[in-house]
Amino acid sequence: MEQEQYKNLEQQITPPTPYMKNALIAFFVGGIICTIGHAITYFYIIFFDFTEKTVGNPTVSTMIFLSMLLTGFGLYKKLGQFAGAGSAVPVTGFGNAVISAAIEHRTEGVVLGIGGNIFKLAGSVILFGVASAFFVALIKLILVTIGVVQW
Amino acid sequence: MKKMAFFFFVPLLLTGCSGNEKTIEVYDVLDDAQKRVEVREVLDSNEDVYSGTAIFVDQQLLVAVQAKPWLDYKKEKIEKELTKQFEERFTEFDVLVSADYKLFWEANKLMEEKDQQKVNDKVKKLKELEKEET
Repeated sequence: MEQEQYKNLEQQITPPTPYMKNALIAFFVGGIICTIGHAITYFYIIFFDFTEKTVGNPTVSTMIFLSMLLTGFGLYKKLGQFAGAGSAVPVTGFGNAVISAAIEHRTEGVVLGIGGNIFKLAGSVILFGVASAFFVALIKLILVTIGVVQW
Repeated sequence: MKKMAFFFFVPLLLTGCSGNEKTIEVYDVLDDAQKRVEVREVLDSNEDVYSGTAIFVDQQLLVAVQAKPWLDYKKEKIEKELTKQFEERFTEFDVLVSADYKLFWEANKLMEEKDQQKVNDKVKKLKELEKEET
């Protein structure tokens, strides 16, 4: 069989990827996760002394903690299979990336296994976050020093 | 059936933000009608605000407002504008205008409070909270 023929045959047999459906599911599941996040935001604002400016930190940590628990119980995997990017893009995906790497490598020992691999997936996120925050702050510092903007 | 549900929910989502009635409340121990009118005038003239609560207590004026949905990015500008307007009208008061939900929520809770000292303490606490950055 020629390469070209094989390619044609393969294309005929492969079921079409339902891009539209995947995008819709990701949209709605991602939206639901963000709605839960918003509910937690209001919970902290109403019952604790957090303002809209300061409530981001406890909300993010709560969401990450919840997704870490769900990953540990094996439930986040099912959600990920169903929703795809909808479950990976929100900050809960970060918690999932940390814990799933830890679970995967726990047989290799606590230090070299878990310690060495826990940030295998999420490490780049932290690195990019810290590095870009540093550069943005640097640019702002320069702009403030020149007198273009204020803090 | 799924399509039916979709067509049913979309109008609900789209009409969720309607309703134009402004709710403006004023807490004032001295119950000065003039102040109420002035607060109402300032908040009514601002198109970006849909709700506001003002508390006059012990030479302090706390105005907690809520910006319309989609205008969250303009909050600081709204706060600045309103602060300027309130400072012009109430020169003897220490004015704080905030579009933060926490302050709005707490200010509305204070509306029922009778004890002036408690209100005073709470307003001071809210002013400190508003300054916090992290």
